[in-house]
Amino acid sequence: MSPMRGNIEERLDALFQAYREACPDPDPSPNFMPQLWQRIEARQAFSFSLRRMAGGFVTAALALSLALGVFMAIPRGSQGYPSQSYVEALADAQPLDSPDIVGTMSLDLSDPGK
Amino acid sequence: MLVDFELIKRAQKGDSAAFNEIVLVYRKRILGRISRLMARSEDVEDVAQEVFLRLFFSLDQLRTPEVFEPWLYRLTVNAAYDHLRKQRRRQEYRISDLSEQQVMMADAAAGGKVEREERERKKTREFVDSLLSEVSESDRVLLMMKEVEGLSLKELEKIYDVKENALKVRLFRARQRVLKAFGSKEHSPAQAGGV
Repeated sequence: MSPMRGNIEERLDALFQAYREACPDPDPSPNFMPQLWQRIEARQAFSFSLRRMAGGFVTAALALSLALGVFMAIPRGSQGYPSQSYVEALADAQPLDSPDIVGTMSLDLSDPGK
Repeated sequence: MLVDFELIKRAQKGDSAAFNEIVLVYRKRILGRISRLMARSEDVEDVAQEVFLRLFFSLDQLRTPEVFEPWLYRLTVNAAYDHLRKQRRRQEYRISDLSEQQVMMADAAAGGKVEREERERKKTREFVDSLLSEVSESDRVLLMMKEVEGLSLKELEKIYDVKENALKVRLFRARQRVLKAFGSKEHSPAQAGGV
């Protein structure tokens, strides 16, 4: 059927049909399969190196966290932070029997001339 | 189905020979489909290879071999659409540089039936490409799958994974736009005696 006959809908359908006939399936070039496999292998190599890199990062992160855990678990000497509160530390530094701070003062009221 | 389920299952398990066989069976059909979807013959092989590349790396995600063909066509549509989207800035549909008179003179000079037929086919391709440039790339692909490739709405539903009604609405709107362009171009002097 000619695309010019019938109403516009029919003509468009005929035009699409003519287009289908004007565009037959092309033959693949001889390089189609070799190029396809090259692309597959290139992508595989890329994803393999990406996986290896990701694996390396995971191993490094695990090793680092393990080392940090060990470091934190080791008890440290006096350089570490005090375990007492501020008030407790003050009380230890200045005991109650220390004369410098809490010594009683004597006031002699019997001798007003002095 | 052009291949049996056993071959697909073998390919899914990583059998390269089975995958190779699938490509050999489907490549001509996929090349044809892409050439009609894209109307850029120079990129057809590249996009077809991309389709089979995606197939190779996603074949293990295919749940049942029964849906292999709609799935392959979905990969084809997506690859063609991705390519069209990349080409958006380089919009060029190839309207013949020759005037009608020049074409007729050249035709007379060539005199061959084959040449005349080829020229007619070229004009048809260019005319349809110019009509389809009126719709978006995604609608172009959808229209081609329906109108030129002859896929049913059920098949398109599987490929696009959307409800049939939504597809009908999209197809209707796209077709209306193409019809409008067809109506106006049909009456233009360049196409009056042509397609």
